[in-house]
Amino acid sequence: MRFNLVLDLQDVPGKLMEALEPMGRLGANIVAVIHQRDIKTERGTVPVQITIEGDKETLDRVMDALESKDIQIMEVDGVLRKEQITTVLVGDIVEKDVQDTVARLNQLEGVRVADLDLKMSDKPENSATKMVMEADFGLKKQILKNIKKLGSEKGFLVINEV
Amino acid sequence: MKIVILGFGAVGQGVARVISMKKDYLRSKYGLKPQIVAVCDHSGAAIKEEGLDEKLLLETKTEKGKISLYPSYGAPGVDSLQVLEDVEYDCLVEVTPTDIDDGEPARSHILKAMEDGKDVVTSNKGPLALSFQELGDCAGKNGVELKFEACVGGAMPIINFAHETLAGCNIESIYGILNGTTNYILSRMANEGSSYEQTLQEAQEMGIAETNPYQDVEGIDAACKIVIMANSILNLPVTLKDVDVEGISRITSESIALAKKEGMLIKLIGEASPDALEVSPRLVRQGSPFAVEGTLNVATLKTDLADDVTVVGKGAGSVETASAILSDIVSIWKIRK
Repeated sequence: MRFNLVLDLQDVPGKLMEALEPMGRLGANIVAVIHQRDIKTERGTVPVQITIEGDKETLDRVMDALESKDIQIMEVDGVLRKEQITTVLVGDIVEKDVQDTVARLNQLEGVRVADLDLKMSDKPENSATKMVMEADFGLKKQILKNIKKLGSEKGFLVINEV
Repeated sequence: MKIVILGFGAVGQGVARVISMKKDYLRSKYGLKPQIVAVCDHSGAAIKEEGLDEKLLLETKTEKGKISLYPSYGAPGVDSLQVLEDVEYDCLVEVTPTDIDDGEPARSHILKAMEDGKDVVTSNKGPLALSFQELGDCAGKNGVELKFEACVGGAMPIINFAHETLAGCNIESIYGILNGTTNYILSRMANEGSSYEQTLQEAQEMGIAETNPYQDVEGIDAACKIVIMANSILNLPVTLKDVDVEGISRITSESIALAKKEGMLIKLIGEASPDALEVSPRLVRQGSPFAVEGTLNVATLKTDLADDVTVVGKGAGSVETASAILSDIVSIWKIRK
């Protein structure tokens, strides 16, 4: 079988070699590599299209190897990869904070707030909100860091996923 | 093997109890004959070169409250450093209460013993969280063993597990629930929907939380354990002040209810990784290895060869913690015999 991948590589020497290395090592056939350094994403990274061929087990191992090297896989066979991120904030949260927080998260590239839940308490400082975000694969760490910063600016306790 | 025990609280008494319980087993299995030659508490010491009787030690402490009242061999007011100077021994068991400001008196005890060429086993987090590198260097320089399995997770094997059982694996990061008191409180809050204040009070009444719960609920105790693991397992030369610490006192029943709706629980998680050195409340999936209840501790090691390895165990308790100390004593014996 074949996988058409789009990898998100940093524009520094050696990154393409690093991404191709596990494919050769694990026995996947490289059918095509389209690498155009002058086309960049807004983040300044280079999207590289790679088609590989092999049995399913080999291809799965290649994907695992790429992930463990922190190489971001943006697309598999034309489908954008997303992951869900949940966070809970505790504090004296008013409507304005929620709007503002959602707006600032939506501003980040590749992130969308998909669900929001608010639980007000008799004691205002005990109120809590839960946010579920959908994000492009590989952005999780960066988003969690952003939420933490945002929360501490506003004096909220941020409870992120492990 | 001649042993000196400094500190005779819950853990120290547990050590005397397990040595007494396991005497025949240790002799037949390892050829180890542990002799407790001195015990110190705040009142002074009990010293006997041919070995004190464990049962009589426990009886004296329970009935009279002072180890210096041990029949015939009690020594009221004797200083513990003096005991280390005068008594002939092979291994120090340092189990005085943890102090997180300067790590004393444990730090001085441990340094003195190692400089005198003695092996040390401790459950005391203070000195290790504040000056791990110094103590490690001192052990290396004097060619002695410094073992501290009981410092992290009580009976849950983690330090020796990482060094010996997982030998050959590169351990990249460690995540864990490292404090039983906070795990108990958060588990109860999740199950009962009760408030933090109410649950803390209940835990105090049951003796699970201390009268002054500060070090547990504000994450300091877990942070000490993260520092010890970061140094010992990840080789990061960090101390307590390098850890970002947030406890559980701001967790509300509202936030727990919201997490539960998403199939998640809130747990106090310690993390030592190249990205972070922190203790903070985090969301974990119900049914995941971190979803343990009650006072249990759990730790996951992320490794290059074995992938994730998770251990669970009792994080506190007299005999439970003493089991970790005994395993350290046995490993020192295997090296020395």
